[in-house]
Amino acid sequence: MTIWSRLSGLFTLRLSAVLTLLGLAFMVWSMLEPTPLPVMLAMTVGQGLGTLAFGIYVVIVVRELVRELRRARERDPS
Amino acid sequence: MVSWIISNPFIAAATACAAGSALLLLWYLLRRPALTHATKLVLLAAIGVLPLATATTGNVAGFEATKARRFCGSCHVMTPYRDDSQDPHSTALAARHARNALFGEDNCYACHADYGMFGTVATKLGGLRHIYEYVLHYRNMPLDEARRTIHIRRPFQNATCMHCHSTEGPSWNAIKEHASLLDRVRGGDVSCASAGCHGPAHPFSKPAPPPTQEQLP
Repeated sequence: MTIWSRLSGLFTLRLSAVLTLLGLAFMVWSMLEPTPLPVMLAMTVGQGLGTLAFGIYVVIVVRELVRELRRARERDPS
Repeated sequence: MVSWIISNPFIAAATACAAGSALLLLWYLLRRPALTHATKLVLLAAIGVLPLATATTGNVAGFEATKARRFCGSCHVMTPYRDDSQDPHSTALAARHARNALFGEDNCYACHADYGMFGTVATKLGGLRHIYEYVLHYRNMPLDEARRTIHIRRPFQNATCMHCHSTEGPSWNAIKEHASLLDRVRGGDVSCASAGCHGPAHPFSKPAPPPTQEQLP
């Protein structure tokens, strides 16, 4: 279960990195080609992907922290 | 391309942040380092801080870009309006204002924007309506037909002109047509941009249709 969670966390973190790259691509496209479609996509899809990616990162990091705290408590119950 | 990026500090900052973030992310995806505290900090910069900076500066650059004539003229039905207003030989009202450095490249926005506290928001909502109309109704319209049929949605407001031409100055009031129509100009009964006064704003401008029941006060 632990290995599975660990692998899943790493996979999700990579997914978060890929989503960030996609979001950045939309944002940079809108700056290089400032026409209605790229600008609208950057401000909706691009920023949505970026926010989702950061949310995933926060969830993974918080989950890791909780796991470390739990392990520390198990090692030293006092 | 490089000069375009460097010319605007917001675009330059956003591109630099995006490039930094992309480099860190590619390093993480290709090298697959262990998830140590240092890696987490690198990812915080690559997924959080730098993309946030890109989005913030990119938003400013994006909102500025939506004011540019290039942006307005990127829908094909607007190309006659764009071409006329950037024509140095045109004597149309819009073209004469576009040659004024205070209007310059943003001359479409300067005249068609709403002013006041929520003016920018109202203008952006109007812009979204333009995109909706373009995508659903005008995208495949031939240019000749567009030039014949497209018209301003509401009568052009004199308040927009009065943003610069206050109607208070002695040189403005020294013109007898101005002085005699002062109240009607300020009240919006006589349009500054009407034929016979200073209009039409564009050579092929058409008046707004009569107001519907919903638009009447």
